[in-house]
Amino acid sequence: MSNLSSETSLLTGFPRPDGRIGFRNQVLVMPLHSALCATARSISQAVSGSVSATHDWSGEVDSDFERITKVLAGFAANPNVFATIFLTLNTDNENQIIKRAEDIGIANSQIIDISKVGGLAGALSLGIELAQKFVSEAKKISRVSVPWSALHLGLECGGSDALSGITANPALGVASDLLVELGAVSVLGETTEILGAEHLLAARALDPKVGEQIIETVARYERSINYEGIDMRGAQPSRGNIEGGLTTLEEKSLGAAKKAGNAPFTGVLEYADPAKKPGLYFMDTPGHDIEQLTGFAAAGINIVVFTSGRGTPTGSAVIPTIKVSTNTQMATSIPDLIDLNAGTIADGTQTLQEVGKAIFDEIIAVANGKLTAAEKGGHQEFALSRMYGTVIS
Amino acid sequence: MKITGFDHGQRGVGIRNLQLILPSVVCSTHISSRIAKDVGAITFAHQHGCGIIGNDVGGISDFFCELASHPNVGTVLIVGLGCETIQGNELAEKVLGSNPQTKYLVIQESGGVAGTFESGIKQANDLAKANPVSNKELIDLKVGIESDLADSRAEELAKKLEAAGINFEIENTSKNAGISFAKLMGKGVHLIISFTSESQPPSGFPLIPTINIASKSALHMALANDFDLPASATNVQIIDLIERVASGTKTKSEISGSGEIIAPRVVRSV
Repeated sequence: MSNLSSETSLLTGFPRPDGRIGFRNQVLVMPLHSALCATARSISQAVSGSVSATHDWSGEVDSDFERITKVLAGFAANPNVFATIFLTLNTDNENQIIKRAEDIGIANSQIIDISKVGGLAGALSLGIELAQKFVSEAKKISRVSVPWSALHLGLECGGSDALSGITANPALGVASDLLVELGAVSVLGETTEILGAEHLLAARALDPKVGEQIIETVARYERSINYEGIDMRGAQPSRGNIEGGLTTLEEKSLGAAKKAGNAPFTGVLEYADPAKKPGLYFMDTPGHDIEQLTGFAAAGINIVVFTSGRGTPTGSAVIPTIKVSTNTQMATSIPDLIDLNAGTIADGTQTLQEVGKAIFDEIIAVANGKLTAAEKGGHQEFALSRMYGTVIS
Repeated sequence: MKITGFDHGQRGVGIRNLQLILPSVVCSTHISSRIAKDVGAITFAHQHGCGIIGNDVGGISDFFCELASHPNVGTVLIVGLGCETIQGNELAEKVLGSNPQTKYLVIQESGGVAGTFESGIKQANDLAKANPVSNKELIDLKVGIESDLADSRAEELAKKLEAAGINFEIENTSKNAGISFAKLMGKGVHLIISFTSESQPPSGFPLIPTINIASKSALHMALANDFDLPASATNVQIIDLIERVASGTKTKSEISGSGEIIAPRVVRSV
């Protein structure tokens, strides 16, 4: 890989008016009320090439309002989205979300106010018409060569097993290090999963203040869990992890952190906040796979690599999500969930560096248009992360 | 009011005979919707089942159990991923106590997406075949009423229902009608009358036919086509529609599919 440099990026994508770059041209139907989600789904099911999100926010203004509006706006403005069709009731709060999405940067958008189109049936037919128009416009746009800095990579793991920390995660770390070196953004999430390993990550901070932020983010997370009367250090690893062969939280966290390789940490991001310059970051997200994925999408991350020991079919409406299996058994028994097998490291048939390079190559191929297993399966899971539940305000 | 419903054994007589494909975790919602579409069952997307702690673990599991044990539900196929907090097999065991017409399958043990899809369709069809349902008179119809605290129409309807000998439960919306719908579901109501808040759109609950009654707000006037009854509806008209919906007439939200299940959560995700 010595021939790679920041001048010879292998990436092609779609530059957006705000300067960010997408690797997909999604047409997103974004309902801004739970009662409009069924109509959004009907539109995206009727128009091939369009996607939608389903959520349970119904306009309520509670302690999670800021977190929810940030995610809905950021998701709608992800750079992989060519056009967003908002379904709304034209309320002030919804308009605030749309304004926020426009401020982040949104290539094309249309608002369907259901009260002005004769209700759900009118919204459905207009939505289909608009989605078809955007899909055909999107098809006319060609990819252009883009720099390495266009890539905002999300690092995720879910359903970890005893091999996660020695196969898929460190292999992903190799790929992440290469990309960070070339000038990309790489983001490690899941505060839950670095509990017990935070001091090791903090020691890799570029600036001592960033190290303090990493320690404080984990401490803040623990305080919020302890407040609920629960000891996370006793509640992890999860039952699925234990069945997968993990014994302690520290073992799980040390393995999870390996996704971030050995590069120094440039900064710490709040949930769903974008990285403003290249480098490796830590983002404060839940370990919940889909809340993390949705937060990544809202932060403008445009490719995710997701390692798994147990296997998961999930994906995002707006981010291609590459699945890497930690073991060969799973990669063979459920092949349609998995893009790459890192179990070969444990089998002794490939080295860590070789699999790292394979993940690096796969990231480039997927960025350039190759469909992931989750994309082929039509996976578009979405989740709103709440700090205060749904019944307490 | 004489209503013929579906005999769902210990769960009671339902006004619908729905097959429920119940995803035990967010990760299996997509495959559940593909199975449901193929076999004509109902399902719903949700974001729960994993990354939950404290009282939410039992709470969400109980909530799923209540859904699977609802009188409008016939057979249930639980679809799990395999490594989630709320395990499909344990949920199935819990559900079996109240709904013996339940099976479960697990994506990680069924050959992935294609295998789960194929096996899910077969199991759902087998469940339906093995559990033919017969009609039975519904003598204890229970109506749920959802309304704003300030809306006096709920109280007036309640009085009329009481006079007519019809059981009812009332939930007043605090901030989210979906939470009230979920509470009414837990109380086993067969159908819901929603006196929709002025600023809210008509909505629904997937297992329970929901009759949306408009207010005089500008929003509701503009969405007149999506309401089952206008603001001017009399109690006689409402009770007449209750009888028709209980006898099989579909509500507007049943047809459009609008309304997501909003699960009561008390703790942050982890």
